[in-house]
Amino acid sequence: MTNTIQILSIEKTGKESSLQKEHNNKSIKIIDGYFFSTNLDDQKFTKISKLISNDVSQTILTKKNVNKVLSGYSNFNWVVEIKFLPGVTDNIATTVKEIIKDNLKSSFKSFELGSTKIILIKGRKEDITKISKNEANPLIQTIKIYPFKKYLNNFKKNQFKIEKVKLPKKKYSKKEINLNISDHQLSLIGKLGIEENDKSRRGTLGLDLESLKAIRNYFSTIKRKPTDVEIETLAQTWSEHCKHKIFSAKIDDIHEGIFKKYIKGATEKIIQLRKDNFCVSLFTDNAGGIEFNKDWIICHKVETHNTPSALDPFGGAITGIVGVNRDCLGFGKGAKPIANTYAYYLADPNKKYQLYRQKNKDPMLPANFIAKGIISGVRVGGNCSGIPTPQGNVYFDDRFAGKPLVFCGTVGIIPKKIKGKLSHKKKANPGDIILMAGGRVGKDGIHGATFSSEELDPNSPVSAVQIGDPITQKKMSDVIIRELRDENLYSSITDNGAGGLSSSIGEMAKESGGFIVNLEKVPLKYNGLYPWEIWVSESQERMTLAVPPKNVKKVIKRFNVRGVEATIIGKFIKKEKAIVKYNKTEILNLDMEFLHEGYPKLNLKTSFPKIKKEKKKIIKKSSLIDKLHKLLSSPNIVSKEFIATQYDHEVQATSIIKPLQGEGRVFGNATAIKPLFDDEKSIALSQAAYPQYAETNPYDMAGCSIDTAYKNLIVSGANSKKIAILDNFCWCSSDEPDRLYQLKEAAKACYDYAVAYQTPFISGKDSMFNDFKGFDKTGKSVKISIPPTLLISSIGVVDKISHLTKITPDDGDILLVLGATRNELQDSVYSKIIGYEKSKNPVVNSKDALRTYRNFEKANKLGIINSAIGIDLGGLGIAVTKMAIASKKGFTIDLKLKNKISVDQFLFSETQSRILVSMKKNKLANFKKIFKASDYTIIGKCTGSDVIEFKDNKKIMRGKISDFAKSYKQNIKGL
Amino acid sequence: MNVLVLSGYGINCENETLHAFEVVGFKGKIIHINDLIQNPKQLYNYQVFAIPGGFSYGDDTGSGNAMAKKIMTNLYDQLTDFSLKDKLIIGICNGCQILINLGLVPSLNKKDPEVALIENKSGSYECRWVDVKVSNNKSPWLENISTLNLPVAHQEGQFMIPINILKSIKANNLIGLQYIDHHKKLAKGQFPFNPNGSKDDIAALTNQNGNVLAMMPHPERAFYHYHIPNWQSKTLKKFGDGYKIFMNAKKFFA
Repeated sequence: MTNTIQILSIEKTGKESSLQKEHNNKSIKIIDGYFFSTNLDDQKFTKISKLISNDVSQTILTKKNVNKVLSGYSNFNWVVEIKFLPGVTDNIATTVKEIIKDNLKSSFKSFELGSTKIILIKGRKEDITKISKNEANPLIQTIKIYPFKKYLNNFKKNQFKIEKVKLPKKKYSKKEINLNISDHQLSLIGKLGIEENDKSRRGTLGLDLESLKAIRNYFSTIKRKPTDVEIETLAQTWSEHCKHKIFSAKIDDIHEGIFKKYIKGATEKIIQLRKDNFCVSLFTDNAGGIEFNKDWIICHKVETHNTPSALDPFGGAITGIVGVNRDCLGFGKGAKPIANTYAYYLADPNKKYQLYRQKNKDPMLPANFIAKGIISGVRVGGNCSGIPTPQGNVYFDDRFAGKPLVFCGTVGIIPKKIKGKLSHKKKANPGDIILMAGGRVGKDGIHGATFSSEELDPNSPVSAVQIGDPITQKKMSDVIIRELRDENLYSSITDNGAGGLSSSIGEMAKESGGFIVNLEKVPLKYNGLYPWEIWVSESQERMTLAVPPKNVKKVIKRFNVRGVEATIIGKFIKKEKAIVKYNKTEILNLDMEFLHEGYPKLNLKTSFPKIKKEKKKIIKKSSLIDKLHKLLSSPNIVSKEFIATQYDHEVQATSIIKPLQGEGRVFGNATAIKPLFDDEKSIALSQAAYPQYAETNPYDMAGCSIDTAYKNLIVSGANSKKIAILDNFCWCSSDEPDRLYQLKEAAKACYDYAVAYQTPFISGKDSMFNDFKGFDKTGKSVKISIPPTLLISSIGVVDKISHLTKITPDDGDILLVLGATRNELQDSVYSKIIGYEKSKNPVVNSKDALRTYRNFEKANKLGIINSAIGIDLGGLGIAVTKMAIASKKGFTIDLKLKNKISVDQFLFSETQSRILVSMKKNKLANFKKIFKASDYTIIGKCTGSDVIEFKDNKKIMRGKISDFAKSYKQNIKGL
Repeated sequence: MNVLVLSGYGINCENETLHAFEVVGFKGKIIHINDLIQNPKQLYNYQVFAIPGGFSYGDDTGSGNAMAKKIMTNLYDQLTDFSLKDKLIIGICNGCQILINLGLVPSLNKKDPEVALIENKSGSYECRWVDVKVSNNKSPWLENISTLNLPVAHQEGQFMIPINILKSIKANNLIGLQYIDHHKKLAKGQFPFNPNGSKDDIAALTNQNGNVLAMMPHPERAFYHYHIPNWQSKTLKKFGDGYKIFMNAKKFFA
């Protein structure tokens, strides 16, 4: 009898190799383990072992053979055993259970199991402790370290145990909360949560005093006390995460708030100016939608998952990507996800920041652990879901040490009409059944929405971490898109993300009037959850559907035969009431109006911030070629190829402009997919953010982000009339007037540039408190705020395949820069790496920019342009070098400059709105018909040799392309 | 000519795989594994059985293992029977891993799997384009093809083959595809030409009849010319190299 199955891979696995390399220790071996809740007899042990292992490449450990099989490792002295904490999603265990149930059918029904990683190591105890900390996250996993001999002993004595979730059996009785208490007591409820009978607190509600007073007033008018569920629900619904109170607040003299005035306002203005409205769905749905062709709509949404990724980088990131996939599934009647995008803003993975959430304890995870975890989380989420992830970028700055920013986006596609009805319109009707489909509900993610609206501090709850399960979601998604949607079997659909059911049902019920939910019907991962926990849990992989009663049986059956659970949990009603029952006791009864609009509106004031100037740095004398190498190998310019090759960008067979471009594989600024087999139209995607510019001038920072995201699509060949953008504001300390000033400025620029370019915002999201408050290694309290970061994502339609550009010139091509270059080196990569000289920050002149873009578009359609690349970080010098690396062809570049600009300013200034292009010499005449002489500069030609030659009046400077490529493709230290 | 393209539990390349078959002239259907288990007889309406790429069961317990066990439990006899007839089976990427775990390839002597696909030597997922040469041109899938430029995208694509099995595989000419370098010579394990460290640069194996092909690269993702990296710099015909594999299936029945 045994209760564990442990499997050893015969050959060294890739995971072992990378561990060995990372820790410079050749003696590391991993064993896959499974712990069962019941004992397995010999027959079951043999049968199950065979089901979950591979005879050829693996050996099963048994009491009899364990000494012999592990004899090759007898000089190993330590064993690290890593398990998930009870209740944490264990995807491997779920699969194993399913295999066993399918194969052993009735003979082995009731059991629990958990997967585990067992690492055998030779080394000193302190090194082992270090390695284990790098391999596991104490928030979600337990680490046990014991001597090798004890492990063998445990094995023989059957000493492995699975720990089940042991929640005390709770008998629920309705809990009423007295709000007629002092302001101080009231604040405690908001900050620490509702008090339990044992005086413990449930965890932050994120409600401020004013909100709690509004709740008190409401209940005093209806003459009763609120229940705990009501307060929890209001906290979720009113959270900054869900209601975007700062964006809708009156700010200075802007009564309607910056969202209405500057973001939505821009889109409305553009629609009014343009006659060809291609926007289909704006701001109200889970994603924004534009017209793709006469039959199809494409939608796009970008989300952030910052705080969870700081606590559990892998889990946070995977949940981020599969979560935004669901936004797509919840767009209109359900769009099919066809591309993922990502953008990570991280601390330097090679540095040790040593930050603590509490004095001398509760350390932040190391920067490299966070970076690796985030990159892997999106890899597993995207790859396992069969959604290509072509487009993304990574940026490093010390100010992300307290909180990483993780942006995850998804593009979806949906037919315009389904059975004659517009697909982007949906309405839950009174009488429709509320159906919850997908995963079960556990304690995961409790209070996610409320705490992501707050700063990360010691009270941030650990149960706020969720882990996505892409396969469960894929199964659910396939049923919705393929087997339900096109028959119009449901009237509305939305995803369960932040706030869980309380949020999804609360939002959907606006369509019908109200709802009644019976919480005891909700399927649970384990017993012992309080009703309020069920109601706000953020367990993943769930969609909520409104299904007409006549279709319910059919819909549930279709889910079930695909191995997906679907449960009736209530119904939508006409009366504008939100009602929740638990075993017939009514535990929530609120007016819908109060639920959604009852929160006190903020009244914000801004003040002009002190501008933090870059410190002057003395420029070390070095050659131009040296400078190019330094910039190319700097973390924000160096190739991100190692991410592109981990993320499947070919699945769905749609990738036509890939993330790695040219024979020399340069990491591109934009990518394109062709989503339909029978239409040559394609979708170009890009994104941009300039946190490094923000402190100097937030208005110009936002202008640069919009300009770059737009420019990259123009350069890729998109139709300028079919480009839409998305805004993701990640701000810091948004209760401070100077930060709000920066926010207002950035939002104002959003309006100005979007209207100038006539590119509408279709969707957006904000995350306002990306601050870390804690301690450094000496116990001194520190606050680290991210630089204000505005990510602009752009999506555009490319009408013809022949419009798509490339970044590789051909022999004999002449090289030109479109757009003027100014001395704008402030906050540039050059200023950071090489040094700082007197200069200005980049400012976008939209009139000049538009002239360049329109002319480029015209020239490209006429076939005049042979290759093109947008100029951004590192300026023209880096753009030239990237083109050479991509094409493996040399250039001569002429630096006889006009306009009093120095060579370094010309090559490294980050002046916006410029494009480096190449064309055949014989096209120049036609080119000149489009471009005025003042709008471009001829800078050289493609020689096809293996060097780039820069010539000025005095000398020639040469650099070998292969050397540049080496610098550009260096590994990022720490990753 | 009918093709059954399998789906379910995280398989995810079924649409593009079916499309490739349809363009060359097949009629086809995507069928969920649970529907096939419900009614296994429908398999006999088809001439080709295709297991597309994907991440069935999230690769838990080893890529392709869980799905192979599901097929073994519920459909093994029907599928074995299908493989012994004058019909074609292809497994691409995750489909390849499933066929290998089922033991349908190379299927030398016994029912159990004889080779394994283990994690890439690099330790990471590899999505990149590779060149392969056809080694067993007797397989109907690979007839008259010399080399192919195709993408791979996998975490576990390294063929691990016990020595005696490798001997038999070579003696029986069951190596379908091998990774080659820029000079069209065998990659000899060199990364990135051989993206996973596969034994003898093996990218695909066949069964003894050659009618069952298990290949790690994705022909359906190299179907049109615009799938090929940097297609704008090349003079290309309408189709990419992947097309040839699907055309061969058509020719087999024509």
